[in-house]
Amino acid sequence: MKKNIRIQEPVSTGTGSRFFFITKLFTSVRTTITLLFLLAVCAIVGTVIPQGELVQAHGASGPSFANRLVLILDLNNVYRSWWFTSLLVLLAANIMGCLLKRAPLIIEEWKGTTKKSSFSLTFTDHRSVDSLRSILTESVRGVLRCNPETTDSENASVLKWERHRIYLLGFPLIHIAIIIILIGGLIGVFFGFRGHVQIKVNETSSSYALLSTGEIRNLPFTIAVDGFTLTRYPTGEPKEFRSDVRLLNNGKEELKGSILVNHPLTFQGISLYQSDYRVVGISRITLSVANEKGETETFSINPMEPFSLKDYPVEIKIRGFDPGSTQRGAGIELVVMEKDQKPVTLRLYENDAHPVKAGPVKLSFRGHEPTYATGLQVGYDPGSRVVWIGSIMLIVGFIFTLFTNLQRLQIQLVRDRSETRITVSGRSKRMRKEFRESIESAVKTALEQPR
Amino acid sequence: MTSVDLNSYLTFGYLGWIIAYLITALSGRTAQSARHALFWLLVTLFIVHTGSIGLRWAESYWMGIGHAPLSNLYESLIFFAWTILLALILVWKRFGSDMIVFVGMPLVFIVMASTFLIDSQIRPLIPALQSNWLVAHVLTCFLGYAGFAVSFVAALLLLLVRAWPSASALFPKKTTLDEIVYRSILVGFPLLSLGIITGAAWADHAWGAYWSWDPKETWSLITWLVYAGFLHARLTRGWSGGRTAILSVIGFAAVMFTYFGVNYLPGLHSYF
Repeated sequence: MKKNIRIQEPVSTGTGSRFFFITKLFTSVRTTITLLFLLAVCAIVGTVIPQGELVQAHGASGPSFANRLVLILDLNNVYRSWWFTSLLVLLAANIMGCLLKRAPLIIEEWKGTTKKSSFSLTFTDHRSVDSLRSILTESVRGVLRCNPETTDSENASVLKWERHRIYLLGFPLIHIAIIIILIGGLIGVFFGFRGHVQIKVNETSSSYALLSTGEIRNLPFTIAVDGFTLTRYPTGEPKEFRSDVRLLNNGKEELKGSILVNHPLTFQGISLYQSDYRVVGISRITLSVANEKGETETFSINPMEPFSLKDYPVEIKIRGFDPGSTQRGAGIELVVMEKDQKPVTLRLYENDAHPVKAGPVKLSFRGHEPTYATGLQVGYDPGSRVVWIGSIMLIVGFIFTLFTNLQRLQIQLVRDRSETRITVSGRSKRMRKEFRESIESAVKTALEQPR
Repeated sequence: MTSVDLNSYLTFGYLGWIIAYLITALSGRTAQSARHALFWLLVTLFIVHTGSIGLRWAESYWMGIGHAPLSNLYESLIFFAWTILLALILVWKRFGSDMIVFVGMPLVFIVMASTFLIDSQIRPLIPALQSNWLVAHVLTCFLGYAGFAVSFVAALLLLLVRAWPSASALFPKKTTLDEIVYRSILVGFPLLSLGIITGAAWADHAWGAYWSWDPKETWSLITWLVYAGFLHARLTRGWSGGRTAILSVIGFAAVMFTYFGVNYLPGLHSYF
């Protein structure tokens, strides 16, 4: 480990001034701070200018200045633009540089070879080294909750305490985590894809359209949709969207399951998510027919086939369907063909209060069963696992940094004729003032207590 | 009594507390006993507030659509007020500064009062919110926001003291304020990070992408970048006092925009 670090040193002394400048730029926290604020400002741009919209490159009088600027700087696609990505790569490089620069210090601190201390106190006492050692060990245990490592020699003793060395891992963990998350993001951009596919119930599909370009691509399997159900709460709000699917490989069923919002289905690394749905037609229609005597009968019919009334020479054909764009609800257009009469076209709506006259009878549209097409999102991202590893490292790093604290304490006892000289030196990475105060009071009370 | 009624009473309770504090301060009764009484009054209000959130949770189960009360703007505001209050009480205990609490309480009051303007009905959970990630995500984000809110209040006070040094006798010491500005962000930042991570995990589960640059996600990242900048400036460049206070104010503006402003931009967090 140490050899690696030695190699770093000639780099920082530098051979040329430009090289030295670049090295300094990449190992400076000032660069980090500048990049952080710069990224924040640039990220705002993308939330102000509409993203993902196509910009007309050639207007009637050539491209305008604003349009040209949008195109050159990718302002309609900020987060994938060359300059935003460069900033992220620079940030990763800068964090790496800072880490490498600080690594030797962290290792030194880990080994305890550093001579730095947060505070140093000296006392003198008439008691012997042996008795002071036991008194001080006891009282410091009250603060640090651990036993010292003791080195004895003639007329002298050195007590060393060390606590929470793991604290030192927090800083590198957090910063390596950020680099890993950025790498995971890049892997996703280069090797992952996101697409969308719309499949009618009882139909299959083995391709999808890329979200970014709309390009059609093939899946390594076929999705067969067996059903789509939309459940609502009594208040009318949607409760559940569910697609029942089978995944086929060369006609053979490989996996059967349901896809719900928040419950994706994953096969061969590719995940399928419930994204949207569309009403594409109707499978059954419920009509009620009232005759001249006021008797009403309700029928459920297949919209594809013509339908004849029982007691009258009337045939009805459904010509069109409107899934419900107005307050009148879903609507159907039908042709009523009475024998020896001209055909009549009628429109019925589900929410209409009054039935519509059709020859000798009156018709009402009572209800329908829609046929759906389900919209599925198709996603594959080999980088996401890398991002999760980075995220876990980040959380662990924060826990180490916030809930642990490296504390080192050394008490040296030296017998000098009739007195013992006591030197207390301590080092704490956080809460230095509190650490010094608690140690100082522990040592003082121990020394003041009568024999 | 429903939880909505209880929240209305609490709003007036907070206003009452602010007035009580003013009266005690103006009458010159800075005695320990008066401060003690105010502290316990605030803790009592906090307990009632906690009970109100619990009651709303129970009410949703009585309606047969049980879910954690963190599912719409009304519920999130009530919870936001609760987290700020929690943070203020902790600051009072830790730093012994009741002035910060007094300056922070109007924020709690405004957040509570703003709920009068919006729909307070308990609604069933739409499919997109039916996930165990909901509680983890909202909890961590808002606890982080509370830390930033307290830092913002301390930063305002610090800037005020710097602008009028003659009034400094009324306020806590500058070093104490500076400590609060920094320490609240030190707590808020990891919580916000955790909030973003749980949000990303949830998005990955629900939408198939852990990050889609939706305005809310982007603004939470902007907030994160500002506070990351704050911490690096403070810890490695030795920034403190006025400069970090201004950064804390900018950061909290970003928090507010992430919470409210984004609703005016199109995006996936439209139900919040």
